[in-house]
Amino acid sequence: MSGAQLARSQPRISVGRVSPVDIVLWSLRILVLFVVFAGTIGAIVKDRYTAAQWFDFVMFGLTIGAIYAQIALGYTMVYGVLRLINFAHGDIVMCGAFAGYFVASPLDRSGFLTDHPVIGMAAILAVAVATSTGIALLTERIAYRPFRRVAGSGPLIAAIGVSFFLEQTFRGMFGSSVKSYPAPAWQRSTFEVWGFNVPRIDVLVIGLAIVFMAGLYLIVQRTKMGTAMRAVAEDAEAAALMGIDVNKVVVFTFVLGGAMAGIAGVFYAFVYKQVYFFMGFTPGIKAFGAAVLGGIGSIPGAMIGGVFLGLVESVGPSLFLDGLGIPAPYQLRDLIAFTLLIMVLIFRPNGIFGERMAKQRA
Amino acid sequence: MSLLQVDDIHVYYDKIHALKGISVHVEEGEIVTLVGGNGAGKSTTLRAISGLLHPRDGAIRFEGKALGGLGAHDIAALGIRHVPEGRRVFGRLTIAENLDMGAFTRRDRRVAKDDREQMLALFPRLRERYRQLAGTLSGGEQQMLATARALMGKPRLLLMDEPSMGLAPMMVEQVFETMGRIKAEGVTILLVEQNAPMALGVADRGYVLESGQIVLEGAGRDLLGDERVQRAYLG
Ligand SMILES: Nc1ncnc2c1ncn2[C@@H]1O[C@H](COP(=O)(O)OP(=O)(O)O)[C@@H](O)[C@H]1O
Ligand SMILES: [Mg+2]
Repeated sequence: MSGAQLARSQPRISVGRVSPVDIVLWSLRILVLFVVFAGTIGAIVKDRYTAAQWFDFVMFGLTIGAIYAQIALGYTMVYGVLRLINFAHGDIVMCGAFAGYFVASPLDRSGFLTDHPVIGMAAILAVAVATSTGIALLTERIAYRPFRRVAGSGPLIAAIGVSFFLEQTFRGMFGSSVKSYPAPAWQRSTFEVWGFNVPRIDVLVIGLAIVFMAGLYLIVQRTKMGTAMRAVAEDAEAAALMGIDVNKVVVFTFVLGGAMAGIAGVFYAFVYKQVYFFMGFTPGIKAFGAAVLGGIGSIPGAMIGGVFLGLVESVGPSLFLDGLGIPAPYQLRDLIAFTLLIMVLIFRPNGIFGERMAKQRA
Repeated sequence: MSLLQVDDIHVYYDKIHALKGISVHVEEGEIVTLVGGNGAGKSTTLRAISGLLHPRDGAIRFEGKALGGLGAHDIAALGIRHVPEGRRVFGRLTIAENLDMGAFTRRDRRVAKDDREQMLALFPRLRERYRQLAGTLSGGEQQMLATARALMGKPRLLLMDEPSMGLAPMMVEQVFETMGRIKAEGVTILLVEQNAPMALGVADRGYVLESGQIVLEGAGRDLLGDERVQRAYLG
């Protein structure tokens, strides 16, 4: 054995010598724990926010978390079946949002969305789902399938290329300006429960997200194609020996992920009331992190990871940043989200819920 | 016409010439075995038949139909089932789901249900643990499941790669006894084994492989008695 291999096989953390890397990592952990604990105590002592405000934070966290969860499902399923990080998935979300916008805008102007909210909503979602699914399928067929048997980073680079391609195509076709997504009055209204103001749109997004995710879960767990998908994720070769056409299962996976992305895109546009060509990037990265957080490849993990991330970034600023006296903490919620993701990638790359599965994979 | 006809196939792993002209035929209703030491090319032969690998030269025919160019799932649909080395059950699927996947290509759902009953009768251990994850099964139970899963596809030809590997002696006995019963059901078997005495004992005919070539062939019992086989494989 050569010297380099010997060095690598030694345990990294030894008692006698602590490497600079360890010091940095430990400082990071302590810093984050300090921020969370000291900030939380500070927030409790200061008592700056009312119960209604906390309720708003949680409600928003659940809403955005439900959206992250739906996006994360696409990452986790594609990774499970192909071991590919579909870097373009966030842009598939953007495609869905744009498609929804192009339906919602005229419907809103004509008043149809106000008079027939259910039909209008169904039409928006249907077009968004069809668009996202279609583009996801084209992506798979044109950009990913040719790289299927290529080892190394070829597939990932293809995915990054698709991401740029979609962003620049939408920018080219529809301009780089931010378009405001129409929100008829009922979407902006609230109703009262036990003295709290509940935004209707939040309830709609959370409720529908639960329905769609439950549907997806049933499809994956109960149907023949869903079972085949789990079989291929575990051992594609053994699945092929059963007569399962792996290509069809891959297509099925992209259909499910694309549909979820289309719905999530519309919901994301509901919440932020705007669409633009680069809008998929941030939720895409965050949802990927949520999938890793939940243990990539795990479907329940993606759902839980998404909701958890949404709650942390929504409640976190007021809970532990404001408590430390940091001004304008709400500006920093992306910082919280990305810190959480980096922490997970450094300390628990197999995810918080996905450990068992990651071990089986290895 | 032979059920399976392998004609002078050459298989490469990049530059490694793993099969150097293998010819094997299997007749309807037979148990045929390929024996040979580690690395002789037994698994490679089975993988070429089931379409996981594609020979650079030579031809494979099943019921007279050339399999060249077909994918593994197409070949499975034609009625060949391959129980791979190491069993490869889906550990995160339940036993029930594993059996369902075995019947993936079948359209006759009701008949498949009867077959599942038959499998559970053949392997009662599987019935006891029907709703559990296959990953929790012991090696012997996983072999039962892998075999049952393959039979759920109603194959004409069953390819079995080292079913006795890593099993306790009592389980090995059971594996070979099961093979006799499968044959009695009318399924033809091509069996790969390192356990040459057991395999040649149960087989109608056998081939001895060495470094990607067939060095001997004949009736199971004759090979078992052959001096060269005894010296090389039976110690
Ligand atoms: N994936 C692979 N890549 C490269 N060489 C391989 C691979 N699989 C098998 N081989 C080589 O092919 C030959 C035959 O292997 P195999 O068919 O697995 O033998 P057996 O099943 O008889 O033990 C061996 O020399 C082995 O090293
Ligand atoms: Mg082998």
